[in-house]
Amino acid sequence: MLKPRAAWLFVCGAVALTLVYLTARSSAAPLSQAEAAATESVRPVLDRYCITCHNQRLKTAGLVLEGFDLTRAGRELDVWEKVARKLRTREMPPPGLTRPDHETYERATAALEAALDQAATTHPNPGRVVVHRLNRTEYVNAVRDLLALDIDGRSLLSADEPDQQGFDNVAGVLSVSPRLLENYLSAASVVSRLAVGDRSLGAAENTFKIPTALIQEDRTSDDLPFGSRGGISIPYQFPLDGEYRIKVVLRRQLYLYLIGMGEPHQIDIRLDGSLIKRFTIGGGGKGRTAPESFAGNTQGDPEWEVYMHTADEGLTVTVPVTAGAHDVGVSFVRRHWEPEGILQPPQRGFARTTNELYYGNPAVDIVSIAGPYSPRPAEESPSRRAVFVCHPSWEKGGSQDEECARTILSRLARRAYRRPLTEQDLQTLLDFYRAGQQEEGFEAGIQRGLRRILASPSFLFRIEREPANAAPGSVYRLDDLDLASRLSFFLWSSIPDEELLTAATRGTLSTPSGLEQQVRRMLADRRSQALVDNFVSQWLTLNKLPGVVPDVDAYPEFDENLRDAFRQETRLFVAAQLREDRGVGELLTANYTYVNERLARHYQIPNVYGSHFRRVTLDDGKRGGLLGQGSILTVTSYPNRTSPVLRGRWLLDNILGAPPPPPPPDVPALQENAGDRPRSIREQMEAHRKNPSCAVCHVRMDPLGFSLENFDALGKWRTSIDALPIDASAALPDGTKFEGIAGLRQLMTGHQEDFARTFTQKLLGYALGRSIEAADFPAIRQITRNAAAGGYRWSSLIMGVVRSTPFTMSTTRGSQVQTATSTAAP
Amino acid sequence: MLITKKAIPRRAMLRGLGATLALPLLDAMVPPLTALQRTPAKWISRFGVMYVPNGMVMEQWTPVAEGTSFELTPTLAPLAPFREDLIVMSNLACVPTPGRPGGAHAKASTRFLTDISPPTSETWLDAGISMDQIAAREMGASTQLASLELAVESGETAGACDVGFACAYTNTISWLGAATPLPTENNPRAVFERLFGDSGSTDPKARLARIRQDKSVLDSVRDEVAHLQGALGPGDRIKLVEYLDAIRDVERRIQKAEEQSDKEVPVVEHPAGIPPTYDEHVKLMCDLQVLAYQVDLTRIVTFMLGREFSGVTYPQIDVPDAHHPITHHQQEVEKIAKVAKINHYHVTQFAYLLEKLQSTPDGDGSLLDHTVMMYGTGMGDCNAHDPRNIPLLLAGGRSAQLKGGRHLRYPKETPLANLHLTLLDKLGVHLDRLGDSTGRLDDRVLAGL
Repeated sequence: MLKPRAAWLFVCGAVALTLVYLTARSSAAPLSQAEAAATESVRPVLDRYCITCHNQRLKTAGLVLEGFDLTRAGRELDVWEKVARKLRTREMPPPGLTRPDHETYERATAALEAALDQAATTHPNPGRVVVHRLNRTEYVNAVRDLLALDIDGRSLLSADEPDQQGFDNVAGVLSVSPRLLENYLSAASVVSRLAVGDRSLGAAENTFKIPTALIQEDRTSDDLPFGSRGGISIPYQFPLDGEYRIKVVLRRQLYLYLIGMGEPHQIDIRLDGSLIKRFTIGGGGKGRTAPESFAGNTQGDPEWEVYMHTADEGLTVTVPVTAGAHDVGVSFVRRHWEPEGILQPPQRGFARTTNELYYGNPAVDIVSIAGPYSPRPAEESPSRRAVFVCHPSWEKGGSQDEECARTILSRLARRAYRRPLTEQDLQTLLDFYRAGQQEEGFEAGIQRGLRRILASPSFLFRIEREPANAAPGSVYRLDDLDLASRLSFFLWSSIPDEELLTAATRGTLSTPSGLEQQVRRMLADRRSQALVDNFVSQWLTLNKLPGVVPDVDAYPEFDENLRDAFRQETRLFVAAQLREDRGVGELLTANYTYVNERLARHYQIPNVYGSHFRRVTLDDGKRGGLLGQGSILTVTSYPNRTSPVLRGRWLLDNILGAPPPPPPPDVPALQENAGDRPRSIREQMEAHRKNPSCAVCHVRMDPLGFSLENFDALGKWRTSIDALPIDASAALPDGTKFEGIAGLRQLMTGHQEDFARTFTQKLLGYALGRSIEAADFPAIRQITRNAAAGGYRWSSLIMGVVRSTPFTMSTTRGSQVQTATSTAAP
Repeated sequence: MLITKKAIPRRAMLRGLGATLALPLLDAMVPPLTALQRTPAKWISRFGVMYVPNGMVMEQWTPVAEGTSFELTPTLAPLAPFREDLIVMSNLACVPTPGRPGGAHAKASTRFLTDISPPTSETWLDAGISMDQIAAREMGASTQLASLELAVESGETAGACDVGFACAYTNTISWLGAATPLPTENNPRAVFERLFGDSGSTDPKARLARIRQDKSVLDSVRDEVAHLQGALGPGDRIKLVEYLDAIRDVERRIQKAEEQSDKEVPVVEHPAGIPPTYDEHVKLMCDLQVLAYQVDLTRIVTFMLGREFSGVTYPQIDVPDAHHPITHHQQEVEKIAKVAKINHYHVTQFAYLLEKLQSTPDGDGSLLDHTVMMYGTGMGDCNAHDPRNIPLLLAGGRSAQLKGGRHLRYPKETPLANLHLTLLDKLGVHLDRLGDSTGRLDDRVLAGL
């Protein structure tokens, strides 16, 4: 949600942009050729099809389209971009009224867009990004890149609020609260002490809990050994050289009995893959047991009871570890046999947490890592190597030390601030260095200086520099340093590296070849995974996946392994296309995906074994492309059923770029099986569409959603619901009929350009870290057009964004624009 | 959960916690213009809640006699030294609102301070603001922290939650708003850091050194912001003004911390984590609570000795059974005895807290005189999961005209909300109603008039 202040900024921004154009336009130049052509082909269409409703008298939706001419188009960008979109997506005129034929639609849209594009070329309007605070992801990545330190952002900083589009990097929304400032101050202290390996860092204990619904019957991570079962692999940042205590607690059922204690099992604790200790646990319960379907009231013999509550005490090992990142692995040794007796069905849903599973497999519940105890003097660690690029020479005395401090701090600050330092910057840091140095020595001095760097607004905020003497509200090209920051936060969600900064300071970055070379280099770097993890997951709303809670009764098969697999599938699928530089249309049409055994079982794909993900080719016409992936099908469903409306809306919004307006207030919810007989969702929705004010959007959303009805709320294939066969047939408002996922995919192939444009729009918004305004659409169209020839490759769209006017240019801040807006506001 | 039994070397824990130093008078700690001073007649400086889960064996809790001659029952026995500071209250009820079925446990904990029943849902959060937070809104503005929410068990790593209800309902009793449960903190290290920062000790020298460092960073950062601000347009300035406001707010809190920093407090070392035994864990949390009151870092603390639905085992008192299952005792004598042992053991912990409060001088009396402590749970008889007669007692609060040494029996099913309203009055917040309240408890009776 936009906060009031953010919303206000947004409005001001939009109005200011319009105004810039207005000012430029007021010279009343004669109509250009494109403008004249547009007037000629657009006006008759408006007059014939639109002004029946959108006229002076009715003003339907507050819109008057009478008397169109291009001077108006230039002045009311918001309105005319919207008109262009409604025509392009055939949203208007509403179905049922007289609509233009295909050619007329195409011609009018093209002419209108050409005119808008022409105006944008003559008067470029890049908009402006307000001061940008680093969000949590960017902060964590910046610390990683600056100090070779992996920190847990969630324990240091509170979460950032996403904007309406779901992006969490939007400048206007990223606010600063006292709590957050406290977070930043204490994070600066903690991070700087970790980085230099401050020995006074006390021992701390961190706890890692495995979700109860994560089934541990198989290998759970590629970082755990073959032949292992269950457990967890934890990448852990060890702060200092010293002793650490690793403790394992095993899983209990609802009534707190350890599960799987009927027989002995072996459990291993590993550090970076090497075995530290193997324990044997289980089989030690003496006497009569509690009943297996334990209901909470009948106990076993006292000795057995004690064992069942305490058998895992002592799963603890103390081990010396060096400072830096290491993997702690905990897993069971897999048994390759089944116990005698009746084969038990897998436990699902509620039973999984209640039944005792005495002869089943034990599982890991919690791993905790505590330390350092008896830390040793800091020697080498990746962070210390990143910080201490020189060392004070003990023989020579004070002034030499300060020389080294100057080197260290200026190097760190340059990267953290993403610009060359001023003498003032350096003196501030040296003051902090000296205070620490005098009290506790050289390293403490460096730590204080580093702490100051991390608390600096120059680090925490992205503030773009304007050319000196530029008139307020005028358009200018970003300098190379600001361009470098935009690039690195876009492609890496982090600060620029040394090479990028150097290119910027030398001025080679803004040359066409220099820019392209850097972008290609950055895309090839593994840090560009941030595009997949941040941009793609937010664009596709996959960041909702961790919060999904499917109804246990409706979907007893759901477990955390499936949730993980959903996330991993989409991640690998998109990352592969980015790496192989495919056309973005392949996101929808690919005939392959990535699965492991758990996901393959869910998708009914045979012959896939083990927890490792691999690429499989799909030829059944069901799966293939994002629209057949469990992740997306799940986040667009309710906990207990599918929702064609949610899915349809999601497609319109994120794939076709034609978001429906929000529903009117006071819409009654669907009654589940109200009335005397069960009604299908389809029947209920048909009733709903009888209401014309509902129909106007639902005729567009529902058909798209219905075509996906063969996928249940977890994306599993089905052919019937409650014994009624699935009807996945659908028709668009224009009468186009299609059926099922195959039909939908076919339909999407025809909408390649719409999809590419939507993708570009989302990508540009993310790249800029601001909301997309009407004035950005000419750039979006241009990027898309230019990428069409190559089939809309990832690299060409990304290059297009990076070269676009909104990305490379900005508008100067100016009070004039600000004051003028009040009179121009409609 | 057994997480409370984590093995952390004791030497890493704390030093000198037991030693209470002579303390200066801190009665000047109520700053001007707070709600407290506007109602000087009844001021109490602090409020605390200790919550225990899973109901009780009521026969061993409720005294037979009423009034001043009440006897200390087996469960209440550990409170003997504080008999004259106690008001035991019977027949208060925490009965769920009709129409939201199930979840006896989720409701017990949620209603205990909110008086509102949660809906049956694993995802939909809808309680009410809890009365401790209503008080914190008033009283928290003048302290470094508005309130502290402590627990023995971690919500994140604890076991099962009440069937069909979101875990938040059983993990906390404090709600900042209908959909905003306040997570409890069970790690003494994190509590320490919230109170004293990461200076490693409450030693005034170390604290002051850290405060000075924080201040110098803030000063320097403020200068930098001011410098940047000059070059910015209005839209950007808003963001930096926000930032400067935040700086000022933090400075104000640092200022408060600095003013308090020369106060002698027991030196406590930065705890590493959770102590290995339940006893030590609870004691350390109580020590931190008293310390927070003492240095006026906060005035409102809630502390859950167990989360509702808890299955912690208590082998240290010969109850190796998980807590929740055994409370379904089905009238078996042996099981009843075990539950009663747990109830008694929890009261022992409360006695420790009262002892600390009583032995800490504060103003013209002790901290206990100026603190109202509430002890109890949202469920009465454990076997029946009966919410109609819950175990509840108040301790301390002499300065708030609470006259102890009595057992008050109220009319059957008197809503707990009525007590909440009365307590809020004493904390300077006057509401007409709260949840299912039907009125107030008679103040004159509480004052022993």
